[in-house]
Amino acid sequence: MTSVPKSSSPVIQVTGAVHAYGGKPALGGVDLALNAGEIYALLGPNGAGKTTLIRAICGRIRPDGGTVLLKGRDPARVPAARAGLGLVPQEIALYPNLTVAENVQTFAALAEVPRGDVAGAVARALELTRTADRAHVPIKHLSGGYKRRANIAAAIVHAPSLLILDEPTVGVDLDAREALDAVIRGLRDLGVAVLMTTHDLDQAGGLADRVGFLRDGRLVLEGDPHGLIAEAFGDRMEILVQMTEEVDAVGEIRLAALGLDRTRRATVWSRLDSDGYAAAADLDKRLRQVGLTPREIRVREPSLANLFSLVADRKLAA
Amino acid sequence: MSFWKLAAMVRVMALDLWRDRGALLMTFLLPPLVFLIFSSVFAGTTGDDVQPKLAVADIARTADSKRLAAALAVSREVRVDIVSPATAEEVRRRVKAGHADAGLVIRADPASADKPFLIIADPARAVAAPLAQARVQQVLANALPDVTLRRTITQLEPALGGFTEEQVENADSAALLMRENPTHDDGGFFEREAIANAKTGGGVIAYYAGAVMILFALFSAMHGALGLMDEQSSGVADRLLAGTAGMGPVVGGKFLFLTGQGVVQALAIFATAQAVYGVAVVQHAALWLPTTLAASACAAGLALGLVSVCRTRGQAQMLSTFAILVLAAIGGSMVPRFLMPAWLQTAGWLTPHAWTIDAYQAILWRDAGVGAVYKAWCVLAAVGLLGLAVAQVLARRLRR
Repeated sequence: MTSVPKSSSPVIQVTGAVHAYGGKPALGGVDLALNAGEIYALLGPNGAGKTTLIRAICGRIRPDGGTVLLKGRDPARVPAARAGLGLVPQEIALYPNLTVAENVQTFAALAEVPRGDVAGAVARALELTRTADRAHVPIKHLSGGYKRRANIAAAIVHAPSLLILDEPTVGVDLDAREALDAVIRGLRDLGVAVLMTTHDLDQAGGLADRVGFLRDGRLVLEGDPHGLIAEAFGDRMEILVQMTEEVDAVGEIRLAALGLDRTRRATVWSRLDSDGYAAAADLDKRLRQVGLTPREIRVREPSLANLFSLVADRKLAA
Repeated sequence: MSFWKLAAMVRVMALDLWRDRGALLMTFLLPPLVFLIFSSVFAGTTGDDVQPKLAVADIARTADSKRLAAALAVSREVRVDIVSPATAEEVRRRVKAGHADAGLVIRADPASADKPFLIIADPARAVAAPLAQARVQQVLANALPDVTLRRTITQLEPALGGFTEEQVENADSAALLMRENPTHDDGGFFEREAIANAKTGGGVIAYYAGAVMILFALFSAMHGALGLMDEQSSGVADRLLAGTAGMGPVVGGKFLFLTGQGVVQALAIFATAQAVYGVAVVQHAALWLPTTLAASACAAGLALGLVSVCRTRGQAQMLSTFAILVLAAIGGSMVPRFLMPAWLQTAGWLTPHAWTIDAYQAILWRDAGVGAVYKAWCVLAAVGLLGLAVAQVLARRLRR
C-alpha cells in the first residue's frame, strides 16, 4: 500500500440514495461523499439505515433511487468497481484454525493479488496492522485486539483505496482499541478512505475527520466532530451528578426540577450549563438543601455522545 | 474463476481438517472401522456360518438321547445350551426371553417310532425353527447314523410283518459298524454343487465396501458443506461478496476438496477390504478409480446443493441428517438391498447409494467391464454436477 495523495474526486459518491425493503423505507435520500485519506464515522441508532447504506456501497443492493459510485463506477453493476474496496465485517471473518498469515494469504488469492506479489502484500498487511509478531498463530488462539487487527489485515492485503469497517471495536478493551485506532489512522495517512460504522462514540469523536448522523434513513447532521460539538453546545459544559443509589419518584422530580436528565446509568444524571464549575458548586448546594446527597459531581466538555443524544431525541437537526 | 482461487480454498479446508485431529480421525479412520464391523456382521448372513443358539433339554435321558445331546454340544453347526432344570418349560422360557434362537426337547429315545423331538421357536424368528430342525438332523446323520438306521427299521417293521432273527442280527451289526465308523451321509435326497470358480464371502464384502464408502462420502461431505453456513455467519461471505471474488471460489473449492476427501476415504476402506478380505481392488483399479471419483463428486455436489438451499445452520443440520439417514437406509448402506421388498429395491435407484454399491459390486465381484458401470458413472456425476450448479446459483443469490 503506497501513500496516495488526496485527490479531489471522491472515492465514494452517494447521491440521493433511496431504498425500501418491502415498502418499509430504509434510505430516504442520502448524500455522502468520502475522499481519499479521510476517516468518516457513520453514526445512528439501530434501524437508522447504516447497514443498508453500507450494503449499497458494497454493491450488495441496488438502491431504488439515486446513485452510488465507487471512483465513478457503480459497484452493483460493475464488479471491477469493488476491486478497490476492502470490507472488515463486525464478526471476525477469518478461518479460526488457520494462522494470521494463512488467512491473509487466502484472502490475497481471492482478491486476485498476483501470485508473485502475495508474500510481499501479506508482509505489508501484517506490518500495517501490527500483527506480524503473531503471523504464525492460529486465529482462535489470539487475543481480542489481535483478532480485530487480523480482521483488518485480511481486508487490506490487496491495497484497497476504500476500507469499510463495521463496528470495529466491539468486544475490545481500551488498550486494544487504542492500538486499533492507531492502525486505522496509519491507513488514513497512507491515503486510504476509511468509512466506519460504530456505536463507540468516544472512538468516533477521537478518530474521525468527519461524522455523519443517520436517522430514519436520512443523514441529519454531518461534519467535523469538534466543529459540530462546538456549534451545538457553544461554551456550555456537561455536569454529571452521580447519586449513591437510585433515587425514588420524589427524588426524580427534584432532580428534574434542577434541570437534570437521567443518563443511561440509573444513578447518573446530567445537565448542560455555560458556567460549568460555578454551576456545579451551586448544584451541589441545592441538592443537599432538598435532601439529596450526590456521591460525585463532575464537569466535562460535551462529547459526541451528548450530540448523539440530541440527534436521537430529535432535539437537534430534526 | 481462476485455479489459484480454487486452490486457496482447497488449502483452507485441508489445513482446517488437518488441525482438527478429532475430525481427521472421524474422516479417515472411522470409515474402515465401520466397514470392518459391517462386513463381519453381514458376511455370515448368506452362507454356512450361521450358528443358531439352541436351548436343549434331554427329558428322555436314554443312552442315545445322551449321545445326541453330547454330539450337539460339540457340533459346529449349532451353539448349544443344555438347560437346567431339563424341562420343556425351561426351554420355552429361554426361547421366549430371547436367550436362545430355538429350543429342542428330546422327549423320547431318538430311535423310537414316535416323534421324539420337539422344536420350540418364537414366531418372530421365522427362520429359526426350520434352521434348528435342519441342524439337528445334520448332527443326527453325522454323529448317530446307527440311531437313524434303527429308527427306520422300527418304522418299517409293522409294514413288513416282522423281521427274521438273521435280519435283526444283520441290522444290529450294520448299526454297530455305522456307529464305529460314521459315513457322514445324511441319507437325504439332496446333493449340493457349488458354482465353479465362485469366490466365497467376497460378494457381501464388496457390497459393504461400496455401501460404507458412499455412506461416509456423503456424511463427510455434508459436514464439510456445513462450512458454507459458518462462512455466512462469521462474515467471510460478506467480506468476499464485497470484493470481486464472490462466493463462487468458496463453493468450487469446497467441491474439489470434498471430492478428494471422498477418494481418500474410499482408498482407506478398499485398502482394508483388500488387506483383510482379499477383495481384488488393485487388480480393478482402472474401473475402481472412475467409480470412486464419480461417487465422491456426487456426494460433494449433493451435500453442497442441499446445504445451499437452507437459510440457517440449524436447517442445514436437520436436512443433512435426514438425507444421510434416509438415503443410506433406502439405498442399501445399512441393510443389504437384496433383503428389501421389491418396491423398496426399485426406490433405491433414486439414491446415489444404490448406484455406487451396484457399480462397485459389478467391478469387484462380477468382474464386469465398462459396459456394466458407465450408466452409474453418468448418473453419479450428473447428480454431483447438478448439486454443484444449484450451490453456485444460490451462492450468487447471497449477494442480495
